[in-house]
Amino acid sequence: MTALVLAAGALLGASPAAQAVPSFARQTGQECAACHVGAYGPQLTPYGIKFKISGYADSDGKSGKVPISGMLVGAYTRTDKAQDEPPADHTHRNNNVTLDEASLFLAGRLADNLGAFVQLTYDGVEQATALDHADVRYARTFDIAGKDTVFGVSVNNNPGVQDPFNTMTVWGFPYTGPAVGFGGGDAATLINGGLEHRVLGASAYAFWDNHLYAELGTYRALSPAVQSRTGQGRADDMGKLGGNTAYWRLAWMEDLRKQVFQAGVFGFKTNVQPDRQGGPSNKYDDLGVDASYQFLGTRKHIGTLYTSYIRERQSNDAAFSAEEAARRRGTLNEFKINASYYYDQTWGLSLGRFLTTGKRDSMLYGDGYANGSPNTSGYVLQADWTPWGKEGSWGAPWANLRLGLQYTLFDKFNGASHNYDGTGRDAKDNNTLFLFAWTSF
Amino acid sequence: MNTPIDAILRLILLLGLVGGGVHTLPAHAAGDAAKGADVFAEECAECHSPKEGKNKKGPSAFGVVGRKAGTVADFNYSDGLKASGITWSPDKIDAYVTAPKKVVPGGRMKYEGLEDAKARADLIAYLATLR
Repeated sequence: MTALVLAAGALLGASPAAQAVPSFARQTGQECAACHVGAYGPQLTPYGIKFKISGYADSDGKSGKVPISGMLVGAYTRTDKAQDEPPADHTHRNNNVTLDEASLFLAGRLADNLGAFVQLTYDGVEQATALDHADVRYARTFDIAGKDTVFGVSVNNNPGVQDPFNTMTVWGFPYTGPAVGFGGGDAATLINGGLEHRVLGASAYAFWDNHLYAELGTYRALSPAVQSRTGQGRADDMGKLGGNTAYWRLAWMEDLRKQVFQAGVFGFKTNVQPDRQGGPSNKYDDLGVDASYQFLGTRKHIGTLYTSYIRERQSNDAAFSAEEAARRRGTLNEFKINASYYYDQTWGLSLGRFLTTGKRDSMLYGDGYANGSPNTSGYVLQADWTPWGKEGSWGAPWANLRLGLQYTLFDKFNGASHNYDGTGRDAKDNNTLFLFAWTSF
Repeated sequence: MNTPIDAILRLILLLGLVGGGVHTLPAHAAGDAAKGADVFAEECAECHSPKEGKNKKGPSAFGVVGRKAGTVADFNYSDGLKASGITWSPDKIDAYVTAPKKVVPGGRMKYEGLEDAKARADLIAYLATLR
């Protein structure tokens, strides 16, 4: 089973990322809006970025804080044309009302300089519980040449989950999406969810003078037995990762308080050996560039812009040997850009563009693809309302809520605009309306 | 918008009477409280509330002008601030907001400072209205 298929599973069928935890607000004495644009996670302000880098451990100095939170995401999902088969057991071909996620978090300070963001999720679509995102980190601040410098270590289960900027895929827009509709095409780069929750990694990072962020880490695949215990199951085990697996990140942030600029580069390189007993591997070399801008002003009107481009070079030796790929070499490119506007930290409008392109491969992109092409492109529109999470809000700091309307439009899906799967289904048939209620407490 | 209350408070500042002392005319005395509210929202409000009794990462800014440092109830101050002996006169606030670590070396406020003297004057004029 190639990692590409795993990545596809992350985009369609599995619940997308959706995180926001009031236990951080209770711990720090801050409202949600201090750390999050639009008063709801996971879109981070500079304050939130620094809180994460500092190990989720900053607090108001008072004892008795319990680092536990909960979250529920319920949704109505409609595609322009009913799917050929129900997207999951217990669902319909269209017009599904689902409990996408019910999560319990260990989120916050565990000890001085030690904090965690660990999520256990009941997936209401799959009707199964599994360990979701997990990031445990230790961080301390030192004075280096008169400048505050944070040094930290993160142990986590998903390359990119530890990143503090909202440009990489794990925490990128859209911050929640349809579990039983279409949020993207089936092909995705490995760093875009291909390994999530089936690996364990450690990375060391430094953040110098609130400007320069640098990180280096590595990952290993969890054994099938451990994957079974954490709820991922053995069936989709991707195999072993090579000892040369490397994750790295460099970014520069300019926090002018009224506005913030960020630009960076990141990479992930690994060999995936599908047969754990031995045999050929598939090699992936992902290189990304990203940038973001936030206009914060008085926080009455907030505007954001995020973009990223990932280029993946593949050597599909194992897939070629198994006759799952027609070529040994391949490339896959993902471009994303999105902008949002929030009024009064309450009313939000967002627009995103996504574009996946890659080298054709008639076997790697066989059934369900047109012309052996992984190409998918489209737009995401979202309007949302977040009534709480501000200073003096009802329920603060115990509860928060976001209600949203999201619409994903495809101009190309799995290689074509028309009849991409050979059964007459067009890209626009996958256009997905997603109405969601997302609450955390 | 300038209200009569703003004007009165500005006059009090001009007379240098805030904080219980008699001061010479400070450079920040001509601050615009309305503009200062924006400066507060941009620079301070993430960590300080203007509401009485509402502490966030930092203590409430309500009544800060003229207050003795380290005296807001139910707030966990650093030892450096508690030992500072500071009373937050407009001049002292001005110096602190310019370079926090110079005024309170052991303080915990993570703020690099506001270089713009006019913005500081506006901010102090706004803080003087919080009472």
